[in-house]
Amino acid sequence: MRIACPFCGPRGSEEYTYLGDATVRRPEGDAPSEAWFAYVYLRDNPAGRHRELWYHGAGCRSWLVVERDMRSHDILSVAPARDMALARGRAA
Amino acid sequence: MSDTALAARSPLAGLLRPGRQGARGDLPGVVVQERTGLQIVSLAARKGQEVPLMAAVRAAWGIDLPTTPRRVGDARLAFVWSGPSQWLAVATDWPGDLEAALRAHLGGLGSLTDQGDGRVVLRVRGPHARDALAKGMAIDLHPRAFQPGDVAATLAAHIGVQIWQLDEAPTYEMAAFRSTAGSLCDWIVAASAEYGVEIVEPG
Ligand SMILES: [Zn+2]
Repeated sequence: MRIACPFCGPRGSEEYTYLGDATVRRPEGDAPSEAWFAYVYLRDNPAGRHRELWYHGAGCRSWLVVERDMRSHDILSVAPARDMALARGRAA
Repeated sequence: MSDTALAARSPLAGLLRPGRQGARGDLPGVVVQERTGLQIVSLAARKGQEVPLMAAVRAAWGIDLPTTPRRVGDARLAFVWSGPSQWLAVATDWPGDLEAALRAHLGGLGSLTDQGDGRVVLRVRGPHARDALAKGMAIDLHPRAFQPGDVAATLAAHIGVQIWQLDEAPTYEMAAFRSTAGSLCDWIVAASAEYGVEIVEPG
């Protein structure tokens, strides 16, 4: 499997480390325990498109959000995690 | 307490012996050399300071910091892209302390860390340098994809390296963590043996 790093270009998966689901959002500190339980433990397992966090540790050391088809391993999009966090309104 | 004098020692001392190895022929297909006389300092822009940092580098040394995987500068002082808003400053025979010189011009705009004692830099050149490197590197080193001035942070024989091309000989330089120097050298010499490899004195 090859992932096209937006900074380095296409690289083999051996250059990356997989973290996990990029769609979960950390609840506010005073959120109910159910929200924290879901954030820490509950994950969807879609047969199809999914967004994941990958770290380009052997390259530019950037965190990336990779949209991948779980059935075919086709990579549909790759974007810097930082840009996505900023687009969601998180402070720089 | 006794006085102790610590002498700088190459990570390749005793490992990379000058001489010819591998296939015999008039000219070696690959020439390998450990670089010496280098100072290496990492530079990372502080939050939101990329633009003023780039302006300060331009004002001080006339160099435009690369925002893509490129090396800009010359043998005396070059900046090698190492990631978004991150670079390695690499200087040869720089008079004085490179980190201090960078700090004097860039203090506050970027974070500077001396990396010189932590890295080994190998120069690999010759008509078969590309063939030898390709045995352990997954990136495309063909001239249509990688040219003088281009840089990649990637793996070579499973070892993390930063590689840049200097000229069309082709000549490459590879920087790696000091503790990996022996493995990296063993690999490049073995990979080059079929083309004939000349190990030259460090310089
Ligand atoms: Zn990358």
